[in-house]
Amino acid sequence: MIKDTQRFKPFTRDPIALVNEHGEWIGSFDLDLDDDQLRTLYRDMVAARLLDERLLLLQRSGKSSFAMEAAGHEGIQIAIAHTVKRGFDWLFPYYRDHGMLLALGVPALEIFAETLATKADPAKGRQMPNHPGSKKLNAFTVASPIASHIPPAAGAAISAKIQNTGQVVVTTFGDGATSEGDWHAGVNFAAAQGAPAVFVVENNRYAISVDLQKQTGSENLAVKAKAYGMPGYYLDGMDVLASYYVMQEVIERTRVGAGPALVEAVVYRYGPHSSADDDRLYRPKEEVEHWKQRDPIERYRKFLAGRSLWDEAWEAELREEIGTELARALEEAEAAGPVPEVWMFDDVYAEPLWPQVEQRRLLEEELGA
Amino acid sequence: MATMTLVQAIARTLDEEMARDDAVVVLGEDVGKRGGVFLATEGLQQKYGPDRVIDTPLSEAAIIGAAVGMAAHGLRPVAEIQFADYVFPGFDQLVSQAAKLRYRSGAQFTAPMVVRMPSGGGVKGGHHHSQSPEAHFVHTAGLKVVVVSTPYDAKGLLKTAIRDDDPVVFMEPKRLYRAVKEEVPDEDYTIPLGQAAVRREGDDLTLIYYGTVAPEVLQAADELEKVGIRPHVLDLRSLMPWDKEAVLEAVSRTGRVMIVADAPRHASFASEVAATIAEEVLDQLEAPPVRVTGFDTPYPYAQDKLYMPTVTRILNATKKVLDY
Repeated sequence: MIKDTQRFKPFTRDPIALVNEHGEWIGSFDLDLDDDQLRTLYRDMVAARLLDERLLLLQRSGKSSFAMEAAGHEGIQIAIAHTVKRGFDWLFPYYRDHGMLLALGVPALEIFAETLATKADPAKGRQMPNHPGSKKLNAFTVASPIASHIPPAAGAAISAKIQNTGQVVVTTFGDGATSEGDWHAGVNFAAAQGAPAVFVVENNRYAISVDLQKQTGSENLAVKAKAYGMPGYYLDGMDVLASYYVMQEVIERTRVGAGPALVEAVVYRYGPHSSADDDRLYRPKEEVEHWKQRDPIERYRKFLAGRSLWDEAWEAELREEIGTELARALEEAEAAGPVPEVWMFDDVYAEPLWPQVEQRRLLEEELGA
Repeated sequence: MATMTLVQAIARTLDEEMARDDAVVVLGEDVGKRGGVFLATEGLQQKYGPDRVIDTPLSEAAIIGAAVGMAAHGLRPVAEIQFADYVFPGFDQLVSQAAKLRYRSGAQFTAPMVVRMPSGGGVKGGHHHSQSPEAHFVHTAGLKVVVVSTPYDAKGLLKTAIRDDDPVVFMEPKRLYRAVKEEVPDEDYTIPLGQAAVRREGDDLTLIYYGTVAPEVLQAADELEKVGIRPHVLDLRSLMPWDKEAVLEAVSRTGRVMIVADAPRHASFASEVAATIAEEVLDQLEAPPVRVTGFDTPYPYAQDKLYMPTVTRILNATKKVLDY
């Protein structure tokens, strides 16, 4: 049962955009966000970018082992954080979504603590950087294996449907994920059940070094939705307002029982895949520069300035304020101190079984000696 | 008290648990309208409806993965994999998601779920309908693993598995589904994981087994008793956790031990038990621990009955252990 949406059509030839590269509104309807809402979207994108920079700095300075940059992805990520019902809907994010989680309300303290594996990490130092999660906010803890969270997302959505909770499950992943069997398995099951799931691909055109042409024979990723019996929205994910309005509409149509949908958000990552990658090996610098011209923050800044909602003073104030918040969170995360060694034996099971009990004793002996 | 087969005990238990707790749902291929290809879910969809007994697409990754999401979201899913041999497309979901969810989230999210699967050979199914892949699961920290061999145990252990807060792989030897009938109490009872069942008491040697080889092991035990040898026979029932205490106690007392299972020998669960015995009670042993297992080949079709440990193979090994 697929209903047509009102403002946006699926399967468009070009990505849906509402603000052009000059920062001008090109939507066919009137903006209905107030000034505060408009400025908050900007603030959260800047916060995501600054967080991204700090996480990279932690890796560069040797404090963390790894970093994955998300600069260029902020439009769609912040839009998602603002269109779900926070703490009610469920999110199944992937490893480049730290900015989205920050905007959702996950404290920067927790993200830094996860990065540094200190005691303030709710996940107790179990995972490498860029793998946050929050039960409080229904943000499923990130797992590395690509697309492995898609079937669980389908399951959560089926559960929400069975229990008639009114929740929507929003799942994000990269373009490479769409090639995995798990992706098909999850999307197909959600569709067969008409479950309230929204699948969002943050298509940055590269799965590490493999470009989109080598990833798929499809003309784009949104068209894949057709075969599953759901609408596929082709979206400019570097346009935060287009992302906001499309996600809002897609989430609400899904909430009222219209079944799952796929959104392809076209973005670009400015940095390499991770701090362990060298992107000069597979893409020209000019290409990166070309995409930076479409930067979600720059473009939206022009939009706000055109409406007298932005000036240099506010920008400086904003950066100062976010910078201070992040610095304080980082300090607090570090001050919590490293997780104790023996924590590695907890949470394997609800209660440790005898192998964990025995092996914990073995490690304690080793450390005590 | 009713007399029933193992597969009837499974169906009955699922029914009881679904009646007890609305959060319990069943999902898998053919589990609904068809009642499962072995009828382990017979009648459940008629009784509880298609939302709680879900016919899924033909995708083990979807079945196990969706169960993880359902469990994290508050349900208690019982997933059925039609044959243990078909679990591998869903293996990533078991290993990367189910087994690690509690750990990787610091217990913020958990996956209280059961993955049931018919396992083992003896039904002329060839290598893709006969395998016993339990070693893979035991090797994955975060999963609990049960292998039943009697109707009584099936009920008590399945209830425990469904009520457990961790993911449990629940293996059901398909050749035993209808092999024996047994009286199964009507009342609610559970059997704790990690507790072996004593099938025979004796002092001459310890026979340890689990799952599909039960008839051969018990017949071999009968043969031994006829010639005056009294084996102590332990059915492990649960492999993670397993009853190390009962094993070491019996082995220390008898000084001789054999571990019998149908899975291939290398890196098998039988090997883990043998290694533990050697490490912990070597000085109590009068003979090396001996494994009687399936062969290190794919499970053959034509030699279906010869692949798994036969009574003759068990008795031959017994001679070695006793004469050492």
